Amino acid sequence: MKSFENKKIFIESNEYTYRVEHLTLEGTCSTDHGPRNVKIKNLLVDKYPVTNQQYSFFLKKTGYQPRDSQRFLEHKPNKKIFNLPVVFVSQNDAIAYAKWVGGRLPTDEEWQYIAAGPKYLDWPWGNKFNPLLCNHDGNKLESVNAFRKGESWCGCVDMSGNCWEWTAGIHHDGNHQFALLRGGSYFYAHDHWHVGGGARKNSYHWKLQILNEGMNRAATLGFRCVYDAE
Amino acid sequence: MMQNKFIDKKNFIDFSLGSLNLSLDLDKNIFLKKLNFIKNINNEIFSIRVENKLIPRNKYKIEKVFKKTDVHFTVISIDFSQNFENDFFKGRISFVQKKKNIIDFIFQLSARWHKNIPKKVLLKFPFLINLHKNKNFLKPGDIFDGKKRINKGVWNLHEYPPSIISDNLGNQCLGFEFYDQFPWQANYNLGISEAISNENFEKLETEVQLTRELTDIILMKIYTSSQGREKIFGLWKENTREKYDLRKYHDSKNRWIKKNYLQFFMFAYGEEAFDYKKMKFKIIQIIKEGKKFGGYDSILFWHQYPRLGLDESNQWQLYKYLPKYYKTIKKIVDICHSHKIKFFIPFKPWDIRSNESLDSHAKSLERFIKATSIDGFFLDTMSSLPDSFLKIQKKFPSFEFCSEGTPREQRQIESLTSSWDQIGDIRRNFKVEINSNFFRFLFPEHPLNLVSRWSVGSDKDSLIKRAAFNGMGMVIWQDIFGCWLPFSIEQKKNIKSLKSILKKYHKYFYGDNSIPLINTLSKKIICNEFSNSHGKQKIYSIYNFGSNKIKGRILKLPLEVKEFKQIYGKSANVKIEKKTNNIYLLANIQVGDVILINIKFDI
Repeated sequence: MKSFENKKIFIESNEYTYRVEHLTLEGTCSTDHGPRNVKIKNLLVDKYPVTNQQYSFFLKKTGYQPRDSQRFLEHKPNKKIFNLPVVFVSQNDAIAYAKWVGGRLPTDEEWQYIAAGPKYLDWPWGNKFNPLLCNHDGNKLESVNAFRKGESWCGCVDMSGNCWEWTAGIHHDGNHQFALLRGGSYFYAHDHWHVGGGARKNSYHWKLQILNEGMNRAATLGFRCVYDAE
Repeated sequence: MMQNKFIDKKNFIDFSLGSLNLSLDLDKNIFLKKLNFIKNINNEIFSIRVENKLIPRNKYKIEKVFKKTDVHFTVISIDFSQNFENDFFKGRISFVQKKKNIIDFIFQLSARWHKNIPKKVLLKFPFLINLHKNKNFLKPGDIFDGKKRINKGVWNLHEYPPSIISDNLGNQCLGFEFYDQFPWQANYNLGISEAISNENFEKLETEVQLTRELTDIILMKIYTSSQGREKIFGLWKENTREKYDLRKYHDSKNRWIKKNYLQFFMFAYGEEAFDYKKMKFKIIQIIKEGKKFGGYDSILFWHQYPRLGLDESNQWQLYKYLPKYYKTIKKIVDICHSHKIKFFIPFKPWDIRSNESLDSHAKSLERFIKATSIDGFFLDTMSSLPDSFLKIQKKFPSFEFCSEGTPREQRQIESLTSSWDQIGDIRRNFKVEINSNFFRFLFPEHPLNLVSRWSVGSDKDSLIKRAAFNGMGMVIWQDIFGCWLPFSIEQKKNIKSLKSILKKYHKYFYGDNSIPLINTLSKKIICNEFSNSHGKQKIYSIYNFGSNKIKGRILKLPLEVKEFKQIYGKSANVKIEKKTNNIYLLANIQVGDVILINIKFDI
């Protein structure tokens, strides 16, 4: 598989009106879903989600080992799948990588701005859903650059579908801990009681209720990094 | 066979079947004139509309009247016919008695269609309208509150308790049951139960498909009693239960489920259940906290929903991702068992994948039981027990199943020996009502755990009162998939008190002779009576649903009282009064209170 550069894209600081819907059927998602004004600082953002190749390189260089390795990289990354997004990583695993590359995970607000932009697009590529521009209801993960035509306003690719992406932070509501996931994935479970899968709109997040790391890792869950910029 | 000899000159027919006396007028159509103490009903039994044309009354012809009595049964039937345009109709009205105090009323119809092309036929039953309009008519679960009929009873199964008409004293009663076990299987009783529920007999028009052979259109059971409404309920209960095979409930190995009064819903993703610092489940703390409720009898572990579907992992694989795989569950189960608490895991039928079968899930369950020693399987979103799971009980005889929905149909009631009584509708302004659950009284051997997951505040108070009123256990569910809705200290105390009396008086609460909504001496209270077949001791649950305190005589008691004691609820200053030959229960019951009183009779 031919490798490629996961270059960084500059996002100029801006203010925008954040408004998000959450996908959970029952229960609550105790965050401020807006509409509210948010300020995005100058950022650099990965064009693609972090790939297996990038993550493998990180492991090789750092010898990173999670404290709890249950399901960590369960898919066993190898050269054949180097261009696929890295999955089976917890938020801690993602943060460890991001720190090493000098970045961090995007906040929920930043992620939405990177995907929707100042025009508040519903989907990374526009306002109409197009399953040909993303890995929606596919059978497996695809290379992060397989849907380049589905890039967002700033040039980020694979923001909707293929794999869910971690955002920064663990939210506490006094009784629960949860993280917010973005973008949806290729996997589209058959029943309405399942997590609403498939490619998801820019304005949707899903509340992943945190448990042990084995439960926090999934075959459809990866990440991309952002970097604070001057 | 005898024809028409029962009809007098005025075309009247009077006859008796056991305790049922009735009078029909056959002059034009078939009019029901009298039924026991119900006089002047004077209404047609049926009217027929064919393709929107009403068949005139004078078209009917009485063909034959047949009566036969032998030692086993009595039958009287009236055959009639009518020509209408180019079609020919035949019908039969029959009354059959095989059991004491129970008479079947059967209305049948057939059609010989012109050129064999069937037409749309709609039927009305005017006599039901008049019965329904009777001032003493009570549809199932209804009571009189002094001014009007109000509903205080619910049931949610394919058995329909009878509507009841009583005389003014409440002694002579007739019950009318419209058997409707499976509404799609035949013409009979279509829409009638719905019409009763919605008080809508005037609008009821049943569409039936008629062929050359007589088809059953109405199958109404008439129950007769000279001992009040309670007797009607007893007759219905006995008659309904007769066809059920309830052996499974009485298998001694499965008896633990009957004492599953409090089930704790252990939602994994929250600080109630999980210690995020130690990264392990807080089972010891959960058990300790449970003592404030009176102690949990079982725990339902819940971690699949709302996580399932994030990736392709199925419901069994998700257990592998818990810390230390099955060992986590095994350890929790062992701790629970050491505290005499049973342990359930849930089954999600909606997660069955295209390459899975119920048999494969049964095998997974079997492996899980062997690995963890769990005691039960909770059937999420279900109200039935698949055969594949039934086989599990042959290998693990004490293994139990509990469904989210109360089973509705015979086969399910026979095989699924425990369920939730779940109420509430998140989409509406749902108010927890304190009323009588008829299923609880029809099948007292089937334990129900009351739950209304989204109810808070005063609705949680009402929920506890409703459980007390029906003598049933509860589900303690405070973390609703990530929404924290705890019980208050006071509510915990009330549940603890309820559990202790459910346990202490188990044989009465789950006795086979309990009756819902018995007659009371106050229009603003309702009362359930719990007892077993010995009848020496009874528990009365009483609810003041009015807007004023109730003071004075509450119930007329059947026998001399040996001992009495209020066992639940705010003190109501309960007394017994004996006046001439009558014995009364007196109490002061505050607005909205539910009290329980235990009485030992002097037998």
